[in-house]
Formats: sequence, C-alpha cells, structure tokens
Amino acid sequence: MHVLIINGSPRIKAHSNTDKIIDKFGEGLKEAGSTYVQYEVSDRKQWDAIRDAFAKAENILIAIPLYVENIPGLLLEFLETVPARKGDANIAFILQGGFAEGIQLRCGEEYLKILTKQLGCNYKGTLVKGDNFSIRFFEGKQRDKVTGPYKNMGVIFGKNGDFNAEECRKFTGPEIFPAPTRLLIGTIFKTVAKKGFAQIAKGWDCTTPLDFRPY
Amino acid sequence: MILIVNTTEDRGITGTLAALLDSQNKEYEVIEASSLEIKPCIGCNFCWLKTPGVCSIKDDYEQILKKIIKADQLWVISDTALGFIDHKGKNIFDRILPIATMYLRFVGDQMRHVPRYDGQTDVGIIYKGTLEREYAQRWTERCALNFDSKSLGVYGEDELKEAAACMS
Repeated sequence: MHVLIINGSPRIKAHSNTDKIIDKFGEGLKEAGSTYVQYEVSDRKQWDAIRDAFAKAENILIAIPLYVENIPGLLLEFLETVPARKGDANIAFILQGGFAEGIQLRCGEEYLKILTKQLGCNYKGTLVKGDNFSIRFFEGKQRDKVTGPYKNMGVIFGKNGDFNAEECRKFTGPEIFPAPTRLLIGTIFKTVAKKGFAQIAKGWDCTTPLDFRPY
Repeated sequence: MILIVNTTEDRGITGTLAALLDSQNKEYEVIEASSLEIKPCIGCNFCWLKTPGVCSIKDDYEQILKKIIKADQLWVISDTALGFIDHKGKNIFDRILPIATMYLRFVGDQMRHVPRYDGQTDVGIIYKGTLEREYAQRWTERCALNFDSKSLGVYGEDELKEAAACMS
C-alpha cells in the first residue's frame, strides 16, 4: 500500500510534534511493506503539490494536532481549497494533542467523520492519543519513549489499511483518569510540571512569570 | 460587555444585530474582522513559554484578544465550509490561546489550562451558510469548557432574534 501522509500541523516541520509522530508511524508502515510520501501543510509553498497528490491518492492519512477541540484553522483553510473525491479514496487520521485523556480528543475525532464525507472519501478510522505536548522539548531516548509506540500502529495500519483493530482503539489510553490518579497528577502539575515549564521558559529567554498578565 | 466579531463580509448580519441590541438597550461592541489582518495560529507556544500572554504573530488579532479578556460574551459570526465554521471563524478561537497559561489543573474530571485572567467569557456562534449544527453545538460547548465559561449556542443567520435574546 502506498500512503499519502499530510502533516496537518501549522507548526514548522522542525518543531512539529506531529512530524515526529509520523516519523515513527512511517517506520512501522515500511516494516509492513508499505510506502509513503509526506507533505507539510505548514509550508504554503507545498499546497499546490498536496492538492494534486490528494486528487490522485488511493490512501490518504492526515496527521493532526488538536487545536481548540477541532482541526487547526490553517488546515481548514487548506482543505477548503481541495476538490472533494468521488468515493474513490480511503482516508484515515492520526489525531494527537497535549492533554493526556482520550475524552479531550473525541470532539475533534467526531469532526473527522464529518470531514471525510465532505471530502468524498471512505473513512478508515482515527488513531487518537494525547499526552504529546513534550515531544518538541525532548531528544533521543526520551523522545522515543513518547513517539516510539506509534511505530507498531504504523505496522498495523500498513497491514490493515485502517485503524479498526482493537489495539488501535486501546492506543488512546484512559478516557479519563480515576480520582486518585487525578489527585496525584494534580500535585505533579503544581510542583514538578511547574518547575519543568519554568525551565523550558528560561531556555527560551523568557524573563516574565508564566502567569503574567500583559493586558 | 457583549463582543461581536464578524469574520464574514456580510455587514447585514451585524447591522441587524446592532438594531436588535439597540432596541433592547444592551451594551455591545462589533468588530468587523473581514477588514483586519488575522493570521492562523502556528502553535509556536510562545504565548505560554516565551512571552507569556503575548502572541508572537503581530497582526490585528491583539486588539480582539484585549477585548475578549474583558468581555462577558464573545459572539463569532462565521461563514461555513466543510460542514463547520470556516477557517476565518476558527482562527478567532485558535488565536485565543494567550488567555490561558501553560499551567495545568483538573476541572471536574478533565485537565484544563489555568486561565490567565479572572473574568469568564461565554461563547456563541452565528453562522452564514450550512454546517452540521448538532456538531457545532457540541464543539461550542467544548470550547466553553476551555474558557471556564458556558456555551451560548449556535444560531443561523435567520435566527438573529433568538441570538440577540441570549446576548447580555
């Protein structure tokens, strides 16, 4: 199977978490004997080429970071210019986000079913997973720990051509965290995470507190 | 204060709303965004981690953001595409991120960002064209969760009276 992969992230490729996810997923695809070509919606110079590829592809996969409960405005802007297919293409999605619980991504996932119809494609499912905010701040093994599991999803997709397998459904992790876990994570938010964010900000030459009110 | 951001080029909708709100002696402000430059969010995270509260994109959105912070209600008037509000309408929401901080907390059983400011801004949608209405309602409710506020609903351009009745 040959897959057209569109990275729907507005963030430039170098810093795109979605790109790092596609890398691992692509490794799995190749292992399953599939091939893929990848384009970036963040680069407007590629829009004509993506549109052409979209018009011809049999298998399309759009990888998307959740932006305010749905797909990013920039990706919407691009897709508004894409002519719909006539039921002659399969489409699947990778939907990823920062918040860790599955429930956070369900509203976005629901839209992808609507979008599939609008684009005249056949829906092959959405791979849903959060807790990906840190990818851009990690390197090497630490990053692999977050993105690595996507490789196996690539293998499964390469074999099945969809995300309907039970393993893909389970990949999301918990829909919500149980109360004791929330209590624990809530404590981490106030301590370790807060320090971590301050550290990142310092590395970015930030000189104001993160809860600063400029207006 | 009621803030109405019109991302369509149709001034008729805002004209009708203004007349309705005037007749009800309600305070409101209209921003005609079609004459402004509003770029899409690029997810740089600068508003959370480099210049807290300030967007790295220097365009006309800043004046809208400043008003959203003080508004009791934000109404976005949007064209539609692909069964949803179009990218111009969505960009108004995507660019709102500086009103949240990087910090996280649980609200009920879900993670949320800690708000940067004290007030809550309820959100409503007025659309021109066709969209999947049930979905749009669900989406607006999810948006409101992020603002620690509530959804004011989703109204078609033929339901401006109903929308105006919810404005306060």
